[in-house]
Amino acid sequence: MESSLSDLRDGESGVIISIGTSRSRGRYRRRKKLVEAEAGGERGWGFRKRLEDMGLTPGTKVTVLRSAPFNGPLEVYVRGSRLAIGRGMAERVFVEVKR
Amino acid sequence: MTKNRFTVALAGNANVGKSVIFNQLTGLHQHIGNWPGKTVEKAEGTLHFKDYLIDIIDLPGIYSLSTFSIEELISREYIAVERPDLVINVVDASLLERNMFFTLQLLELGTPMIMALNQMDMAKKKGVRIDHEKLEKLLGIPVIPTVAVSGTGIYELLEKAVEVAEKKVKTEPLKAKYGKEIEERIEKISSLLEKIQFRYPARWVAIKLLEGDNEVKNEIIKINPEIVSTTEKLVKEIEEIHEHSCSTVITSERYEVANRIAREVQEITPPIKQSMAERIHALTTHKILGYPIMAVSVLSIFYIIFAFGDYTSGILGDFLFGLKPIFEGMFGTGVVGKLVWGGIMEGIIGGVTVALPYILPFYFILYFLEDSGYLSRIAFLMDNFMHKIGLHGKAFIPIMLGFGCNVPGCLGCRIMETTRERILAAFVVTLVPCAATTVIILGLVGAFVSIQWALALYIINFVIIFFLGRLAFKALPGEPTALIMEMSDYRAPHLKTVLKQTWFRLMEFVTMAFPLIIVGSLVIKIVEILNLLEPIANILSPVTVTWLGLPAITGITLIFGVLRKELTLIMLSTLFGTTDFAQVMTPVQMIVFTLVAMLYIPCIATIAALVKEFGWKKTYLITVFEILLALLLGGIAFRLLSTFEIARLSLLIKDLSKI
Repeated sequence: MESSLSDLRDGESGVIISIGTSRSRGRYRRRKKLVEAEAGGERGWGFRKRLEDMGLTPGTKVTVLRSAPFNGPLEVYVRGSRLAIGRGMAERVFVEVKR
Repeated sequence: MTKNRFTVALAGNANVGKSVIFNQLTGLHQHIGNWPGKTVEKAEGTLHFKDYLIDIIDLPGIYSLSTFSIEELISREYIAVERPDLVINVVDASLLERNMFFTLQLLELGTPMIMALNQMDMAKKKGVRIDHEKLEKLLGIPVIPTVAVSGTGIYELLEKAVEVAEKKVKTEPLKAKYGKEIEERIEKISSLLEKIQFRYPARWVAIKLLEGDNEVKNEIIKINPEIVSTTEKLVKEIEEIHEHSCSTVITSERYEVANRIAREVQEITPPIKQSMAERIHALTTHKILGYPIMAVSVLSIFYIIFAFGDYTSGILGDFLFGLKPIFEGMFGTGVVGKLVWGGIMEGIIGGVTVALPYILPFYFILYFLEDSGYLSRIAFLMDNFMHKIGLHGKAFIPIMLGFGCNVPGCLGCRIMETTRERILAAFVVTLVPCAATTVIILGLVGAFVSIQWALALYIINFVIIFFLGRLAFKALPGEPTALIMEMSDYRAPHLKTVLKQTWFRLMEFVTMAFPLIIVGSLVIKIVEILNLLEPIANILSPVTVTWLGLPAITGITLIFGVLRKELTLIMLSTLFGTTDFAQVMTPVQMIVFTLVAMLYIPCIATIAALVKEFGWKKTYLITVFEILLALLLGGIAFRLLSTFEIARLSLLIKDLSKI
């Protein structure tokens, strides 16, 4: 099932499919659109590159360890280390979850 | 004998113990400043080792060499342009994969390199065992296991550094290979690039062009636009094949290589028992418990600092003011004496009684917390609150500092990633009520009006911060960044490193703020000697008396407040000749005066900090804006409160007349 990283419950894992530049655009299932959404122009580039540089690349397993209350950031486990990711960012990371 | 001299740059992720290694290497022979024109800290040091004089540069802790943050840009520019003789890549042995991702990028820059495989002790605790000899073979560069906090491996690291810098050992650094379809295209672009002159290695530029790095693209376009258009075509081809954007593909593949190397050299047997660090982590980031723990920690820190500061400040002040007769004996009580004592010495005393008692413990605790890892947990908990004012979690730290003193607050904005975020955070910091402002609020309104009004002023201040923060967030151009931060394991801070950081920071404060404080205090003394205070108060009276409804005298005190805000209160009592302000000011006047003093200007030391970090223009804008804001709100408050007061009085009279 495809889901946004921010929708995962504490302790759940998923495999990253893509990182969109906005919540809606990243949802495109069609392959060509996906590339476009990833390319995403100036605005999205920095933030996506940042997430990828921190190890959140497509195909990587990521586990939500906990989320801060009041819609706060998520603590995720990826590539052997813990990262804090703002919720707005996590919303744009799309993962495949096995439930 | 002339010594051989060479330069070494330390590079690595954040929290890998890089600054500890830097301190172990350089001791006290270091200098901390900023990179020219940038709000990024530059730490340099020198070291004598055998017959060598080694200059060491500590590059900022980063995770990649893209252009996400200024730190990354500075680091790659430094390595490519300044060409240090050697790069020491400091690596956290317990997080090999993430660290290796950065190592691979450093290798692409083609500078001679060795690796310090640091925090071996912590890795061992986490059950990570690394075959460093195998790693050495795979990477083709010397790898030295180290435990920086205890100094283990530092000597070997230096020996190796000399050998490689002197080219006594030949290294054959690994060239990370990407997929065939990417390698072919890198080749194609590289061969085009070899025909032009550019400061970076061709292969590196080719990879960066494929990754869509704007900085590189814009420069190459100027030299040869054809290369860029060819690249764009090749990028499309890769995207056709992989169905992901080209930069995503390259980053993924680089991580694949990092992952493969890590898996080949490490063996992980996770400990069964949850470690102490893990338990503290769970507790301090707990959904419910995390907040009270944070509140108690922050409040007790402030309490300790103020208790310590108040006590030491008193002792220091008494001692220094006790020197007055000696100075008067030396310089007399004439104009010269007044200038020397009232101008220069009182300026110095003012600085000393603030800097040492408050700033020193402040910095110490700050670096202690940072080194332990607690600051990142606070950032985690506070992220969404900070988003309300257009910032993210990390900004809470400089803002928290601002409550003590705006100066470290402004300097602390360096932890933000982009210039935009730094200015935003600094702007918010200058609006935060610092310790001196608290003295005014509590000493005037709290003591002579009511504690409720004092609280109300704080709330008004927070409301202002909230609105202006949002406004500035909307007004400033550029892309907002969200929180993305590593939460490294808790660890016992390295005391020596913490002490050194405290010391160098304190020195930075002294050299930056003291000259301005002294000059400012001298200027005011001259004005006083020339009997210009009253004329100035009269000139200001349209603002102070007519607009704000304050006694004319307050104009003078507000001028003194530029030096240090609590001087407004001290001067007020001097000029009125009483500390019972209820006799000389109405409650409304006290509230308006405090409101203006709270907001009207960053003090001179804060102005100095802003200039240092952001330049004159932005400082000027912030200062002028805050003066106008304070006057505007003060005037409005005066009118609102007066009508309120009159209404209440007339009610009172009505009640009385009934009787």
